[in-house]
Amino acid sequence: MKQILLITDGCSNVGESPVMAAAHALAEGIVVNVVGVLDYGTIGELGAFEIQEIAKAGGGLHRIVGTPQLAQTMQMMTRKTVVQTIQQAVNKEIQHILGGGSLEELPPDKRSQVVEVVDELAETSSLEVALLIDASASMKPKLAAVEEAIRDLMLSLKARAGASRLAVFHFPGRGSEEEVVLDVNWTSDLDGVRSMFGRLQMKGATPTGPALLKVIEFFQYGTLGNNQSWKGHTGQEEGMLGDYVV
Amino acid sequence: MVTTLSNAGYPPGTVITGKWRKSRYIVERTLGKGANGRVYLVHRAGVRQRYALKVGYDALDLQSEINVLSALKEQMHNAYLVEADDHQDSSGDVPFYVMRYIEGDPLHRFIGRRGKEWLGLVGLNLLEKLSLLHASGYVFGDLKPDNVMVSPYGKVELIDYGGVSSIGRSVKQFTEWYDRGYWNAGSRTGDISYDLFSFAVMCIQVLDEKALREASRQLPQTRSMTDLVMLVRRNPAFKPYAAWLNKALAGEFADSREALNQWRGSIRGPSAGRARSRQQDTPRWLRNAFALSLFILACTIFFLFR
Ligand SMILES: Nc1ncnc2c1ncn2[C@@H]1O[C@H](COP(=O)(O)OP(=O)(O)OP(=O)(O)O)[C@@H](O)[C@H]1O
Ligand SMILES: [Mg+2]
Repeated sequence: MKQILLITDGCSNVGESPVMAAAHALAEGIVVNVVGVLDYGTIGELGAFEIQEIAKAGGGLHRIVGTPQLAQTMQMMTRKTVVQTIQQAVNKEIQHILGGGSLEELPPDKRSQVVEVVDELAETSSLEVALLIDASASMKPKLAAVEEAIRDLMLSLKARAGASRLAVFHFPGRGSEEEVVLDVNWTSDLDGVRSMFGRLQMKGATPTGPALLKVIEFFQYGTLGNNQSWKGHTGQEEGMLGDYVV
Repeated sequence: MVTTLSNAGYPPGTVITGKWRKSRYIVERTLGKGANGRVYLVHRAGVRQRYALKVGYDALDLQSEINVLSALKEQMHNAYLVEADDHQDSSGDVPFYVMRYIEGDPLHRFIGRRGKEWLGLVGLNLLEKLSLLHASGYVFGDLKPDNVMVSPYGKVELIDYGGVSSIGRSVKQFTEWYDRGYWNAGSRTGDISYDLFSFAVMCIQVLDEKALREASRQLPQTRSMTDLVMLVRRNPAFKPYAAWLNKALAGEFADSREALNQWRGSIRGPSAGRARSRQQDTPRWLRNAFALSLFILACTIFFLFR
């Protein structure tokens, strides 16, 4: 199972539409969840609308919360999405076997059996979560909380019976060609990671759509795309490897 | 896929009819609501017997809870789950289940009203419930004062089984303060120590909520179980429980029977400090009462044979 969890506090303003990018993700079997973080002020009608649209296109959930609720929200969303993904797959099977009818329409004893299977699979199936962090200037004061929330999420994922790993990205990168930076490669343990976000380039640009597309690529090829990687190489190394020890 | 209730819920007098089993329940009032559903006090049509009935927001989440309750029903004599069914209202089919109605106050309110010296007894009863659950292969998970109902004489019932998971599986629902992971004190894999840790934090909250709140305010990465241990050491109110609490916080109980026995020992045994001094007061009071009743008896007999 694959998920992207986008954490942002506002609107994208560069490049491809993030809604379209999320739709691409879903087409590749990757569900996109979105958390809008706000501490002071508001996320704005436009921002809230975009957050909702991205999640809808990506087949996922969306929430707008303050930093104190961030960890709990991320954990809950990830868990719910796992269950929903399994449920959708199981629902398809139910329709196959019973010729139509969703979970709600099943009689109690059958429903009980189906949910038992869903719960079992939700706990044991393997799971990959890519965290995509908006690191534009306004997000800077929230990044410490974001990092804590990611560590907390790892703790929950570790408790699962199934294999679970996560990767962390932030955007924008340094140059204008670098839409996204890999901070932590696929891992099942963050204990050795001292500081997730190294020196960040705080710019106004928020290329949410392009960053999402890159992460989809990463899911498929394990890299952020050849043409970019040599250009952004040095910067990337500093950002992701210079500041943490594995 | 997700069925939502109107915000107001069902008014008193609403009849909830089971689609499959045809039982009819009449709503008396709302008992409470939470993240997963709304709970009503109901009685079966034509019968006095009262129950609690939970209407779920989501069929899958509720069924998960029902599955745990039915598994427990096979193991425990005093079954909690009565039945599960669907009901049709203006929003369509909504799932519900019926359980025993638990009267009483949640733990913190009970202790707030009746006094901290009740913690020993209530704790003992709660540990008994927990070790039954553990013996059946389950961990409660979301153990917090809200989910512990205490009757007027200190009997304890757990409510809200939405966080229950099999031993060895991940804990499904938890609440910051009571979560071992929150205090950087261990994993979120459900084992008996997970519940005992939550139990210890509840005791700390009951005896010194202010100190607990302060300890929880520091930076997440520096939060640790040592803070809780220090806090227990600082306040003399913890004295009778300190050894037990330290062991639970460190996850050192081998099983919940051992935890139960040591708790019993620390509130009743020879080493019980404060808890025992209180018990010593009681016999004196009782002796006086006994003397008084003897006197009354004597008078009665005297006048009877006069
Ligand atoms: N068997 C019962 N007897 C009496 N009251 C009950 C019972 N079950 C639940 N309640 C009341 O209903 C409230 C909500 O129930 P419950 O905790 O099961 O819902 P929930 O949606 O799972 O809540 P949460 O958000 O805490 O997980 C409880 O706090 C309690 O006051
Ligand atoms: Mg619950």
